[in-house]
Amino acid sequence: MKISDMLKMCLRNLWRRKGRTLLTVTGVVIGSCAVIVMISLGIGMNKALDGMLASMGDLTAINIYNFNYGGASDEEKTPLDDAAVEAMEAIENVTCVIPKLQVDSSMVTIAAGKNDRYKMSWADIYGVDFSLFDKMNYSAEQGEMPTEAMYKDAVVFGNEMAYQFRDTKKKGQNSYTWKQELPDGTFSKPFVEPVGETIMFYINNSKKTDDEGNFLYGGRGYEHKLTGTTILAMDPNWETPYSIFIDIDLAKDIINDYNRLNGVRNTKGIDYTQVKIIVNDLDNVAAVQEEIEAMGFTASSMAQIREEMQGYLGIIQLVLGGLAAISLLVAAISITNTMIMSIYERTKEIGIMKVLGCFIGNIRIVFLMEAGLIGLLGGIMGTLISYGISAVMNMLGSGVFASMMGIAVEDSRISIIPIWLVLLALVFATIIGLISGFYPANRAVKISALEAIRNE
Amino acid sequence: MAFIEVRNLRKVYRLGNEKVYALKNIDLEISKGEVCCILGTSGSGKSTLLNMLAGLEKPTRGDIFINGTNIAKLNEKKLARFRQENTGFVFQSYNLIPQLTALENVGMPLMFKGVPKRIRNKRTLAMLKAVGLGERMKHRPSQMSGGQQQRVGIARAFVAKPNVIFADEPTGNLDTKTTEDVMSLMVEMCRKHNLTLILVTHDLEIAGYADRIVHIIDGEITSIEENTPVYIPEEKTTDNETKEREDNKE
Ligand SMILES: Nc1ncnc2c1ncn2[C@@H]1O[C@H](COP(=O)(O)OP(=O)(O)OP(=O)(O)O)[C@@H](O)[C@H]1O
Ligand SMILES: [Mg+2]
Repeated sequence: MKISDMLKMCLRNLWRRKGRTLLTVTGVVIGSCAVIVMISLGIGMNKALDGMLASMGDLTAINIYNFNYGGASDEEKTPLDDAAVEAMEAIENVTCVIPKLQVDSSMVTIAAGKNDRYKMSWADIYGVDFSLFDKMNYSAEQGEMPTEAMYKDAVVFGNEMAYQFRDTKKKGQNSYTWKQELPDGTFSKPFVEPVGETIMFYINNSKKTDDEGNFLYGGRGYEHKLTGTTILAMDPNWETPYSIFIDIDLAKDIINDYNRLNGVRNTKGIDYTQVKIIVNDLDNVAAVQEEIEAMGFTASSMAQIREEMQGYLGIIQLVLGGLAAISLLVAAISITNTMIMSIYERTKEIGIMKVLGCFIGNIRIVFLMEAGLIGLLGGIMGTLISYGISAVMNMLGSGVFASMMGIAVEDSRISIIPIWLVLLALVFATIIGLISGFYPANRAVKISALEAIRNE
Repeated sequence: MAFIEVRNLRKVYRLGNEKVYALKNIDLEISKGEVCCILGTSGSGKSTLLNMLAGLEKPTRGDIFINGTNIAKLNEKKLARFRQENTGFVFQSYNLIPQLTALENVGMPLMFKGVPKRIRNKRTLAMLKAVGLGERMKHRPSQMSGGQQQRVGIARAFVAKPNVIFADEPTGNLDTKTTEDVMSLMVEMCRKHNLTLILVTHDLEIAGYADRIVHIIDGEITSIEENTPVYIPEEKTTDNETKEREDNKE
């Protein structure tokens, strides 16, 4: 038999019992709708979660801190030094490794203005490799990002740092400023506009203080004059606003100078305070993080948090999906039932077909096609209706997840039906139909031709 | 070897502990182009013999050779293929499919053979015309008389150019006049294409159309009678028929 003839035969059979076919298809429609909508909600939730996490920080970054939680002594601890950085760079899928070296706030006094009138009361100072700044998505709000020729002279202020300058000529409240929005929408001005200013770094002498208890600096040769100043825009991870960045070699010089000036002995060399790793893809973060932890470091990443939350969402989706699957199971049973009824009605026809030389394989295919078509039809209609349901839900409930999670997400849809879900639903519905048709088709094949055509 | 040879054929049905010997020990030879009638009373085993010859039922014992093939030994798939290529059926109750038109009903054996629709419809229509129902090709069985339905049945039996036609009480549901028409038509078509016709009946009148009459009583052949057929179609071939035969040849 030609496929076209079998298809025609099965379409005619479905058409002959329109009402029953429609009812059976409706079962599949309901089942596939339930499954599609449930999965689309799951996708929506995941999207909202990713949106939320993305707004909290870069998902592909891993931070490694030079902490020592385990109580291991300094000797046992894996040093976070150049060798470690190199080892990290060698890990697969790592795009770049960005070490940071913190210069303790007490080591230097940062000053600006005539006669060092303005002094910074407090600062997180980090030595970094400026060439990696754009990998971290940092950009300038005022001034230019440092260029290679002037790394050693560059100082990059976090968004809020200019307000940390204190006026030494004033007393009490008046000697401080802070960032605040003025009625006209602009921001209050700090004492010093760092861009264009020369910023002085004085290395402190820890044994000498002035009348107010501030350290005095070490005198000639213990100062650094930085001329290329930049103010950073807010970064996506909200990590920079209260930091000051200088070149990493300069940071090492400062620490060495300080140690020399104050007689601090350092035999181990200088360890990095923090290392940030950028991974090429979100999906590889977990593996990289594992490897780093295996090296003996403490690491944290947004991806790790994401994974945990996805785990919870996964359970919710499984429960919802399971409920939906039950309705599909009911639909499958109803297909089988319909097909068995259809076989009872067509016993004689099947007998005649067999007597006239129809291969039983062809008969089986006709019945499987019928069942598969019921599934496919239900899948198609279910998909169309799901799009409708999804649109209505998005209209009524937009932003529900986002507000549940307490953040604004640009994609506020709660139900998302990607094309793969549509294809999956169609294939799945068809397979359900075929499976449901399997038993009836076998029954049809086993009908005795002789009995079927025996004179009634 | 004869065209059809039956050797030591036996069919036993089991009903609980009881055995029903539908056919006891049948030996029979039928030659190509013969019209053979199996005659017997009700329950004598005529239908059982016919069904066995057509491969619709497996014998309990014995062999059935048709055109050199032992059909008692064929598996289901080969039997289907054998039926497609060698056999045509005419039933007492017509066994047409009610939802299909005359054209579609007649075309079924060709459809199972995988003949493309265009060729199928051409051959089917020619066959319907040959049984005098060219005008009725779009009619469904319920829209036709018993005699017309049986003509559709005959057209269906002949359309795939079989070697043997099996007919179990083909006129059982028809009146005398229609019976004559239907019998003449069947015999004529068999003679024209040199086909073997195996006819089952309890009616002596109908047995009169046969070349040989096989008498069967209680599952046993009691006698085989040579017969001069009451109806011998004229051996004239019109231009139209020649053309039709060529059409059917492809
Ligand atoms: N499937 C079956 N199971 C049990 N016994 C059967 C079966 N088919 C036929 N028989 C028996 O075999 C015998 C022959 O039956 P068969 O149908 O061949 O008779 P028949 O000659 O065709 O009769 P009729 O002229 O009434 O059609 C009968 O006694 C019948 O009861
Ligand atoms: Mg009978």
